[in-house]
Amino acid sequence: MQIQVKNLNHIYSEGMPYESVSLKDVSFEIEKGEFVGVIGHTGSGKSTLIQHLNGLLKPKSGSILIDGIDITSGEVKMSDIRRRIGLVFQYPEYQLFEETIYKDVAFGPLNLGLTQEETDRRVKTAIKLVGLDYEEIDRRSPFELSGGQKRRVAIAGVIAMEPEILILDEPTAGLDPKSHADILQMIQIIHSARNTTIIIVSHNMDDIARLTNKILVLDKGKLAMAGTPAEVFSQADYLESLGLGLPLSAYLMNELRKRRIPVSEGILNIDEAEEELYSILKTY
Amino acid sequence: MRNTKYLLQAAVIAAAYSALTIVLMPFSYGIMQVRVSEALTILPYYTPAAIPGLFVGCLVSNMISPYGILDMVLGSGATLIAAVGSYLLRKKSFLVPLPPVIANGIVIGSMLYYAYAVPMPLFACILWVALGELIACYGIGYPLLQYLKKYKKIFELH
Amino acid sequence: MIRDITLGQYYPGDSWFHRLDARIKIIWTFIYIVSLFLIRDFWGYITVLITLGLIIGISKVPLSFILKGLKPIFFIIIFTFVINMFMTKGTSLIEIGFLTITKEGIRNAFFMGTRLVLLIIGSSLLTLITKPIQLTDGIEKLLSPLQKFGLPSHELAMMMTIALRFIPTLMEETDKIMKAQMARGADFESGNIMRRAKSLIPLLVPLFISAFRIAQDLAMAMEARCYRGGSHRTRMHGMKMKKRDAAAILLMILYVTLIITQAQGILSFLMMSLIQSA
Repeated sequence: MQIQVKNLNHIYSEGMPYESVSLKDVSFEIEKGEFVGVIGHTGSGKSTLIQHLNGLLKPKSGSILIDGIDITSGEVKMSDIRRRIGLVFQYPEYQLFEETIYKDVAFGPLNLGLTQEETDRRVKTAIKLVGLDYEEIDRRSPFELSGGQKRRVAIAGVIAMEPEILILDEPTAGLDPKSHADILQMIQIIHSARNTTIIIVSHNMDDIARLTNKILVLDKGKLAMAGTPAEVFSQADYLESLGLGLPLSAYLMNELRKRRIPVSEGILNIDEAEEELYSILKTY
Repeated sequence: MRNTKYLLQAAVIAAAYSALTIVLMPFSYGIMQVRVSEALTILPYYTPAAIPGLFVGCLVSNMISPYGILDMVLGSGATLIAAVGSYLLRKKSFLVPLPPVIANGIVIGSMLYYAYAVPMPLFACILWVALGELIACYGIGYPLLQYLKKYKKIFELH
Repeated sequence: MIRDITLGQYYPGDSWFHRLDARIKIIWTFIYIVSLFLIRDFWGYITVLITLGLIIGISKVPLSFILKGLKPIFFIIIFTFVINMFMTKGTSLIEIGFLTITKEGIRNAFFMGTRLVLLIIGSSLLTLITKPIQLTDGIEKLLSPLQKFGLPSHELAMMMTIALRFIPTLMEETDKIMKAQMARGADFESGNIMRRAKSLIPLLVPLFISAFRIAQDLAMAMEARCYRGGSHRTRMHGMKMKKRDAAAILLMILYVTLIITQAQGILSFLMMSLIQSA
């Protein structure tokens, strides 16, 4: 088990009159190389949870074990945690600041104290991995690029630290459909390139259904459900009560099922839906 | 010169100044007085809107600080004078952070001595404040000025 | 963290003092501060304490809030106190090694210390019972006569209002940027002063760019709604003096009279004669 979260509790503004419980007794496990999705209504605690995973927030109680080491204990150095767990925030392009793209991507590795050579290698690799042309952009200012490209540079800045676990908070927010698809494809490449464990927070159920092999469902700070996409998305009514949706195909299948049409469970994308409908129609 | 963009640049500079003062509070108020937001005093290099902007920023952050009206008036006055000075010196980037060091040193230093009766000789009060300003303006402000050179476009007023 | 900081010091309430015109409160605060420097001996502080007590009591601001305002300068107060106690020359009372505590030193320490505390409490009262937006309106109105001399009081007030509106936004932005850079290994906490100063660049540059982008967008939005600056704009809440403001002015005059007579020694003379005859 690479990540083990046990009974995580967190309270915002503890002691103040407006304190609120943001995470309540959350426990789950993630294996190395998994592609995990985190879904939940706004305010369910998704951002809070992922900020705990890389040490930006400390829990009130509970533990987080990464490769067996409890990162919530005082002895662990922050830089060690951030070396292994990369976190890409929403709209990461807003964190770019350096004079050249090379320098910005190098920021992370240099903070880790790596040598100039090693940093150089990592910057080049990272920029390539996000699908940009190193030769063309390394000396340009990050601000000359388009939105989608800036985002890639920002992500490169995190993966240049070569984390074993990469967490992304809504990586496709605000992108046009093509960039949306491109970024997701980029994430898949990163996933397979080094068997990096990926955790994505998203509101897009179709993406989640397509890419992930495990989903964590949060509701008001609690872990409401955990399972494979097929398992999670079969609970249509429950998800709806949590204010969450389904992949589009699953909606369709669900509606059909309500009208007594015997479609099978676990259909989460268009292709499967097409096949299923076709085979059902043949029986009529 | 007084168009809406000017007004808004000034307003955001004021907001940024105050936001930084609040967020980095332990630094800002209190004995050491290294106000990180003072690094923003280099902004007159880029836009004249920084003159009212820094003035209002100082005013507003004192409004919401526990120090009160004396700081508000004197501190903001010093900031205004400094901002005008920085603007006038904007051809020589190395001199741009200097006016706030001097103005704040003298004005706030004197305020500490006369009003708050800090029991150190006047010149010590002045130097103490000037030192905090020096760190903020030259230590943070000057590198900031250099970095922002690449983004000159965002400061355009038309 | 960021959420813990309530913007401004304003303590909501509906007291007589809360409802006073902001201009009166601003002028009062000036008068109050000046008066503190006119006082030469402890008797004068009685008037001040009674006045402060009345204001705090009627406005119902909890004492904890008032004392909170003293926290940041706690060390300055202690520092002032101690140095005055040990450094004032005069008739010595206690000698500890090479340090001497004089009679004058003790008196000075208490006097200066009290003045400092009263200064902070009195001036923080202004922001405790006046909303920032009322303060900016008040300042604008007070400064508007200076428009004849070229002071753009409307524009300044507008800048203040917009700045106030955007402070929470930029605070959140600062928080986000800090966290994003920390996730990349940036360290804002350790190291000596110079190192920490340098570490702020990855925070300040993106913050600036965000802030100026907001400025550009908002400027366009305002112009699209025909904003052209100005004195011809009308206000949603007018500022009118009411009877209570007139009463407040009378009270201020009373206060000033008391302070000045005290400064002339009349009050302390009265007190001393009362005590001597008793």
